[in-house]
Amino acid sequence: MLTPRQMSHLFITGSKNQMEPVIQELYRQNVFHIEEFVEQTVQGYEDVKIGTPLPGASEAASKLIRIRSIENAFGVKLEDVVPQKRVPVQHLRETIDTKLSAIVSEVEQIQAKKSTCEEAVKDLEQKINELKPFAAIPLPLEIYSGYQNIAVFTGRVSKSPDLIVPNETYFSPAKEGNFIAVFAPAEHSGKVQLSLLQANFVAVPVPGGEGLPQDLLNLYTGQIAAFKKEVALIQERLEAMKKEQIEFLAASEELMSADVDKAEAPLRFAMTNETFLAEGWVPADRVDVLSDALVKVTGGKILVTVLPIDFEHDSVPVEYNNPSFSKPTQVLMDVYSRPTYTEVDPTLMISIVFPLFFGLIVGDVGYGLIFLAMSLGLRKYLKGEAGEQLLTVLRNASISSIFFGIVFSEFLGFAIPGWNPVLYSRHLMTEAGGHGPNIPELMVLSIWIGILHITLGRLLGIYNHAKQDHGHHRTLAVMANFGWLAVMWGIILAIWSSAVIPLMPNLTGLPVVVSVLNVGLIIGGVLIIVGIILIARESILEVIELPTIVSHVLSYTRLVAVGLSGVAIAMVVNYMSIEMFIRPALENFTIMSIVMILVGLGIFLFGQTLNIALTLLGGGLHSIRLHYVEFFTKFYKGGGKKYIPFGMKRRFTED
Amino acid sequence: MAAELVVATTDLAMIQAQQAGMKAIGAGLAVGLTGIGTGVAEMGIGAAAVGAIAENKDFFGLGLLFTVIPETIVIFGLVVGLLLLFL
Repeated sequence: MLTPRQMSHLFITGSKNQMEPVIQELYRQNVFHIEEFVEQTVQGYEDVKIGTPLPGASEAASKLIRIRSIENAFGVKLEDVVPQKRVPVQHLRETIDTKLSAIVSEVEQIQAKKSTCEEAVKDLEQKINELKPFAAIPLPLEIYSGYQNIAVFTGRVSKSPDLIVPNETYFSPAKEGNFIAVFAPAEHSGKVQLSLLQANFVAVPVPGGEGLPQDLLNLYTGQIAAFKKEVALIQERLEAMKKEQIEFLAASEELMSADVDKAEAPLRFAMTNETFLAEGWVPADRVDVLSDALVKVTGGKILVTVLPIDFEHDSVPVEYNNPSFSKPTQVLMDVYSRPTYTEVDPTLMISIVFPLFFGLIVGDVGYGLIFLAMSLGLRKYLKGEAGEQLLTVLRNASISSIFFGIVFSEFLGFAIPGWNPVLYSRHLMTEAGGHGPNIPELMVLSIWIGILHITLGRLLGIYNHAKQDHGHHRTLAVMANFGWLAVMWGIILAIWSSAVIPLMPNLTGLPVVVSVLNVGLIIGGVLIIVGIILIARESILEVIELPTIVSHVLSYTRLVAVGLSGVAIAMVVNYMSIEMFIRPALENFTIMSIVMILVGLGIFLFGQTLNIALTLLGGGLHSIRLHYVEFFTKFYKGGGKKYIPFGMKRRFTED
Repeated sequence: MAAELVVATTDLAMIQAQQAGMKAIGAGLAVGLTGIGTGVAEMGIGAAAVGAIAENKDFFGLGLLFTVIPETIVIFGLVVGLLLLFL
């Protein structure tokens, strides 16, 4: 909680013939994050090379490629397959070769047949395209050729040409260009060409074949239909095969990718002539289990050492360590950046504060219920870990929206009848005598949230610097963070001492010391000056960032402002649909009233849908942005390496 | 005397109406001008973000986030507008 999972730096070494059982065991345990070995030219490392793959690596890899190519042909992905029952590995190994080649040859045959059919269809379509212009002329194709004294011209023209020589012409007007076929004595062909050119003649070659073009067209269309039917049949057969073989394929892919991973693991190890050395990271609480297991499988012929962690040079992989309640929020952390090993992991804080911010912005029972339904209903469509986590975050946020909806007494922009807002109201349009919106109070409240959130961020910054930095730099960084806090609180004190603000302490009554300066103002001023000095001592350039103290705190007013803009849109939509259309229609009911009610309902649905989308986008983005920009910049660096243990979660196979 | 009073009340009503109108104009300007500012600022970021997303879809979340960062400007405008109208 608040820190990543504790890791231990493990160093495993043994003789080469122990490598295979060690790899098998490491893979089975699925906890060892391999630190890849990089060949070094430093003295003493000459004989340490990258290892060579285990035997069988290339065979397994080629099988894997074949399996994936079939899955490709079927159009399935391993992640989308829902496991039905587990296949025993032993049985799979015995049958995989024969079964796989049978499937491959069958699929290849089917694919070949399919592509022949598709090619034939393409050919026929090409022929049809060539024939189409001729279909308008009732002449068989063989008539267009085979003359000695007659020249034949076929093509498209923009207008009917003036032919001054004896000829026989067929003309068919069409949108894409008028088609013309001219038969003229060969000795006049020059003149015919000239007149045709004046009519923008573009020649179209006569397609091969015999008989009337229309008949040929009918024939080809029939053939295409037959081929398409065959393709559909083939597709059906592929589908049936897919259903039948999908489990086998998924299990084989899992088995083979495990084999490939294991066989290629030595490529990530260091190796000398006789020994291998594997370096990596294991969660601290799993070290004993893993080393005992390794000693057991090798009969004690192995050395497992826990190395001390060198925080300067080692980049420790980071595995989140959160209570299950805040696990889904990790997706929001990964979007920004995973924390490094030594800093505070703020996931838990976000998992609490993000829904609160979202709820404050949305603050509507109706929208909250809609988001809740969305987060539950979309689970069917959004597969994958990240998608599910995001939906869980949305679920928590929507519950918080419902809570704040009750507090603000809002349902789809209407006031909840018979229920007054608790504390503060956001109702922009109120009935006569009702309570108007408490905008100043709400804004001050949001500024309070900002002050507290930013103070928390700075305190975490002090903790992180105290933990991560060393020596003089550490002191400077910690003091600079104190400086930022001092400036912020100094400004706040100064404001309290000079103006009366609702919901904030009133310090204007403090005893005046010099002219108009009272104690509060003087303390505030001192805090500001001391703060600026502390900030400047770390880096003078940071001083230009001072205005962000004010702008970041004021930025939290978005919690109210974005929320109010949503409320305003909802109220306008409700007013337009009900007061302008539905109520007048009901008061004076005629035939036209039905139309007006329908229009009113249309406005209501359209406007509310738009507002739901805007609220979701605004509520989500602004809440997370307050974390990323205003909160994280105070303490968080991120850039941690993801912990990827060597092994896999098996879904389709079992021992 | 009575006539003067009538004139004074109409003047007062007119002045109040003008003040309300000025407030509304001020609120409108605050939201509108900051909206333009946000739009100009988001223009470049949005274009770059879409380019990045076209290269790598994983950038979507971060790209969307960067794009809304200048939204602060229009929110300040909205805050000022709300304060003008309701304070």
